[in-house]
Amino acid sequence: GILYAMDGSNKKYYNRETSIPFSSDGDIIKEAKILSLGKADDINNEPLYKGQLPEGSRLLAVGLVLEDFDIPALKLQEPNVIFISSSYPREVFLQLLDAFPTIEWMHSRSTGIDHIQSKGLAAAEHVVVTNSKGCYSSTLAEYTLMACAYFAKDLPRLMRQKQHKDWSKYEVLELRGATLGVVGYGDIGRAASKLAKAYGMKVIALRRNPTLSKGCPICDKVYGVDQLNTLMSESDYVLVAAPLTDATRGLIDADAIAHAKKDAVLINVGRGPIIDEDALIDALSNGKLKGAGLDVTTLEPLPTESPLWELDNVLLSPHNMDVTATFLRESTEFFVNENLERFVRGEFLLNQVDKVAGY
Amino acid sequence: LKVVSRPSPINPIVRSFHSSSLRAATNTVTTPHADPQLKNYKFWNREESTPGQFSYLLDISPESIRKEARIISLSAPDDDANHALHEGVLPMGCHLLGTGSTLQDFDELRNSNQQPNVVFVSPSCPKARVQLPLVLAAFPSIEWIHCRSAGIDFLVSDALAAYKHLPCTNAKGQFSSSLAEYTMMACSYFAKDLPRLMQQKKGKKWEKYEVEELRGKTMGIVGYGDIGRACAKIASVYGMKIIALRRNPSMSEVDPLCDVVYGTGKSSLNKLMSESDFIVCSAPSTVETRGMVNADAFKVVKQNAVFINLGRGPVVDEESLVEALRAGRLRGAALDVFIEEPLPPESEFWDLENVLISPHNMDQTGSFMHEATEFFVNENLPRFVCGEDLLNPVDVEIGY
Repeated sequence: GILYAMDGSNKKYYNRETSIPFSSDGDIIKEAKILSLGKADDINNEPLYKGQLPEGSRLLAVGLVLEDFDIPALKLQEPNVIFISSSYPREVFLQLLDAFPTIEWMHSRSTGIDHIQSKGLAAAEHVVVTNSKGCYSSTLAEYTLMACAYFAKDLPRLMRQKQHKDWSKYEVLELRGATLGVVGYGDIGRAASKLAKAYGMKVIALRRNPTLSKGCPICDKVYGVDQLNTLMSESDYVLVAAPLTDATRGLIDADAIAHAKKDAVLINVGRGPIIDEDALIDALSNGKLKGAGLDVTTLEPLPTESPLWELDNVLLSPHNMDVTATFLRESTEFFVNENLERFVRGEFLLNQVDKVAGY
Repeated sequence: LKVVSRPSPINPIVRSFHSSSLRAATNTVTTPHADPQLKNYKFWNREESTPGQFSYLLDISPESIRKEARIISLSAPDDDANHALHEGVLPMGCHLLGTGSTLQDFDELRNSNQQPNVVFVSPSCPKARVQLPLVLAAFPSIEWIHCRSAGIDFLVSDALAAYKHLPCTNAKGQFSSSLAEYTMMACSYFAKDLPRLMQQKKGKKWEKYEVEELRGKTMGIVGYGDIGRACAKIASVYGMKIIALRRNPSMSEVDPLCDVVYGTGKSSLNKLMSESDFIVCSAPSTVETRGMVNADAFKVVKQNAVFINLGRGPVVDEESLVEALRAGRLRGAALDVFIEEPLPPESEFWDLENVLISPHNMDQTGSFMHEATEFFVNENLPRFVCGEDLLNPVDVEIGY
């Protein structure tokens, strides 16, 4: 396995905070002929639509549905790259792959590809898939520690007391010395661990390949997926930062939650369906869990009937805790400045996704 | 205006302000990193200092005892945070002679042949400001005052200043990390617009909005002591830039956590206010700092900055803070301390939407005062009986 290198020298993945920007003496050996599956007026795509592309590379067409693309004309130009920023790309993307067998690379502007993933994609061996891993991690790490503090300092109580002009002192908990369990120890998990360590928290990491994190300086223990219940029983704060795949769907189920430590807080920045939402609601209602910080839910937007709206001990956000003014644009910049430059020089692309695993 | 930017070599600076022998002893080393064995560094930090190892607690033997400690404790009668002192086992050579909250409570001791030489004073002692000088006058044998809390403003008076020749120590470093956690929470509270989240939740409204990152923002720390440093330690890992302001900027010259260090003075403070996205006020309340963050400072504050006060209320001119909030110059404020506590119901802060109020409890963990007493018992008492320098010296005349 490849050990994680904190100094940006890890050549496989990008991290906005630590990676060294691309530069190379290599010659351009091919042209990128790009299709953009997304909105033509999406200003976050401007680095692609209006920016400087490598010599010889060009944007061929932009569209959201198959009809937007002039298939016969484009076939002649042999597009080889698809850049996806559309929210519902799954079917159209397969149709484009079918229409253009010259496609060799698909890049997703988002990190999660659960909205793109399909059997057809998994079977397309000639297509490399890359994503925007590492572009938003620190923002989500900030949210994570805020959610921990929200419960540790009992922010809801502060707001209530303020409403009643009530000056009642009460005890607060420290994050220092508490344990953060990270389910899905990828880029987001590591960014959260980095902050947690600065607070003096203990970190337990859980991932499919625990050996890849052996020796990682920012976690105290590394578990495999079979040790989930152990992690639950040892963590004061559990961060779910995993991608949504067949392996992770419903991973945090009633059984896992039953193993939670007393007064544990569950935080989800991955994907809603990773947690069994009914079991979660039960646990929050009956006091099994102290609280939850949810930036993602099974259904988004969250329907008004969901009990989550009315549970006092839930910090709810509309899947926006990584939505900075610039994050989407920065993702596109990553595509243009980092991976496109690598592609045209025949170099190894960053952030390659395992099409079968789905992340 | 003294501005020191890192990196720079340490220049010998002539200390132009009042200096006592205590202060001279602390000039040489300013951070625990430079002196992990605490041989020269005189201050205690709960996270970084090594408990016990150099406390002589384990090494005390009849041979190493230079003098005995005969302690009286000025505190509220039912203050169980003082358990380690009042009921615990004390280091060899240390004796608790009595506890009380007024001089009268120690009447029996006046004629005893066991005269106290140490007074331990807790903020729980009602009217401590009056009682402490009375106790000091009645027991001239007292040679050391230890204050259980970090703030000594509740003790400072002209009567006490007459005893400035006595070493006085405090609980600096005991509460800093809790307050640093609060600081980061307060910053995120505004950056992620937590009030909006709560509002949207109440209205069952699912509406995406943009959040801000702390990464890349500037935190300006007014009063860069132990608490300020604890904040900087965490904020720097977030990728924030740190501006520190303290009376002795040269003492932070080699501090790797600060990007810029300013000295005190109006123009320094104004510069910090104009450059910071998040202002953290962690200065003690002294004659110099009272009302320091005033209308002039708030006039030049960076548009949409957030003001956080976790030091002492009187350092800030509350009226101008309210004005800056109402005028929209400040995005918001997070206040754990106020000029008057409990905060009276008439205070305008209660009604300001963009103010996060906490009842001076953001360092109040279940154990914080117990740990402060333990620090006295485990760290400073052994040093006293072994004739070593005491940790955490404070200057009762300057007020911190």
